[in-house]
Amino acid sequence: MATTFQPGLVHTPATPFTREGAIDLDRYRKLIEFHLSNGAETLALPMHLGESVSLSDSERRTLLEFVIKCVDGRKPIIAHVSETGTVIAAALAVHAQEAGAAAIIATTPYYWTPPPRMVLEHFFRIGSAVKIPFFLYNAPEDMQGSKVNAELCLKLIEKLPNFAGVVDLSFDWQFMIELISDAPIVHPGFQLLAGAELMVSAGAIGATGMFAPLAGIAPRLVRELYELCRDQKLFEARKAQEQLAALRQTVKPGGVASLKAAMRAMGRDCGEPRPPVLPLDAVACQKLVGELDTIASLRSEPRGW
Amino acid sequence: MPTKFRGVMQSPVTPLKADFSLDLPTFERLLDFHVRTGATAISWPHHKGESLNLTIGERKLFAQAAVRVVGGRIPVTIHVSALAVENTMELARHAEAIGADGILAITPYFWAPSLEAIHAYFVRLCSSIALPVLSYNSPSYLAGVEITGDLMSRLIEQLPNFVGVKEASFNSEKFLEISRAALPQRPDFALLTGVEYLLPSVPLGGVGSYSAAGSICPNLCAQLFDACVSGDWPRARELQYKISRLWILFRDQYPSSLKGGMVMMGRPVGPTRAPLPTASPERQAYVRSELERLGILDAEPHGW
Repeated sequence: MATTFQPGLVHTPATPFTREGAIDLDRYRKLIEFHLSNGAETLALPMHLGESVSLSDSERRTLLEFVIKCVDGRKPIIAHVSETGTVIAAALAVHAQEAGAAAIIATTPYYWTPPPRMVLEHFFRIGSAVKIPFFLYNAPEDMQGSKVNAELCLKLIEKLPNFAGVVDLSFDWQFMIELISDAPIVHPGFQLLAGAELMVSAGAIGATGMFAPLAGIAPRLVRELYELCRDQKLFEARKAQEQLAALRQTVKPGGVASLKAAMRAMGRDCGEPRPPVLPLDAVACQKLVGELDTIASLRSEPRGW
Repeated sequence: MPTKFRGVMQSPVTPLKADFSLDLPTFERLLDFHVRTGATAISWPHHKGESLNLTIGERKLFAQAAVRVVGGRIPVTIHVSALAVENTMELARHAEAIGADGILAITPYFWAPSLEAIHAYFVRLCSSIALPVLSYNSPSYLAGVEITGDLMSRLIEQLPNFVGVKEASFNSEKFLEISRAALPQRPDFALLTGVEYLLPSVPLGGVGSYSAAGSICPNLCAQLFDACVSGDWPRARELQYKISRLWILFRDQYPSSLKGGMVMMGRPVGPTRAPLPTASPERQAYVRSELERLGILDAEPHGW
């Protein structure tokens, strides 16, 4: 079965919380509108920087239903359904399909480090619980090194007709080339997407889409990089790539706390992260803002909502 | 001045006789083969040349042969990485004495050195000779030990002869951190990849690579480089996919299978020293069938 859904540029919104730590749905509605009017072709949520693992099962369901209602068919939505237990993840996948998500995405199970055979079974049971496209999220950086190889992906393709592609956060050239030179032969339409805003190399290799965790901070720069890579203007894309790499390295050490502090600096306050993640202290915040000031491209980014 | 270390540079394997001793006449033929088939530089002995299975005396002997046979037609660099840093220092001085064009050195083996220790190592090495020094970054083979962008930047600032890197992390993020740190400071810094990973690196400022498969398919190497620098991405992709299949074929117990493949191309170079195995006749036949399937057997030179 060839997959026709092409996610393209995928924004991955943060999850705003109130001072009391509840999901701030009013703020979330604003944020979703911001992403839709600033270049998103698809939304994926809640990803790890959207604090998926800090939301209760019912909050994840409520959140997804809320966003689908807000977006009202204007853009497709990919539901992130990663979980530790296979059955729990598969149930989230079924809910996502029923709620109207265009696709689901899942990474390797949290905490367990199962052998490849069990990882394969985990993905198979999540993907086969639904008919909508399934994307595999290869994110060793988020998962303490747990990752997949091309061989596992090829086995999964044979078993799972709705396995639509890999969203890659490994940045590993050997993996990406091995995967994308083989997978589309077995499964026409199989896609490789860059899992963050490092798209020049991935785009050269054959990635057709990009997940953009930094889109809440710098949507114009993200869009510029994506379009240049999509149009295969790879030499021309280098400057935007280097600016986004600089932004990524600025935000990366503090993770979601830095992401939220940077969004606040851009006039889009989404509150603080939920425990156990601590917010940046005043000194770290000031340092972050100082570093953001050195990234020239941020000056032409939208401020506020 | 643009760097002289660019394009697809070849690091010859080390030909051995049946008794595992060095085979000088075959080494000379191989060097000449690489020069004639488009190598932009020679570098020896990489891990592929079984560097760590050779004695220091053997390394000096063949380094001298490499400089002599190439005879100035293209640059020759000597890979000086050794288990003991004192041996590295000795090989570096030797490389300078025999008239090599530069040296290549990896972060120290075994000790998992800190960034400060890596810094001290390169300062000592670069200060001991006047030759250009290329660094070699290979975190996946060295338990995560690597030259970060910040460290690269400090070394460039301090050392005028620290001129490039063989970047073998094969990782977009690591490559970008190095390119962002190095190129604004030294625009002619040679950003090179290990193996022929040109497609993902050239758009980010890469100027070339070393080569795993050049003794099998020199034509493919040159075509890939040309496609990348001219920005012909569809063609570059097709060629990169093909040459990467060869890397997957050879990287297992590298360079045993590569030496096996060379037999099939009419360029036998003998066995591989222990603990690496020597490619069995069955393995050689498998490599041959893969070369045939990829269309390499007929598109590349046979014999010397």
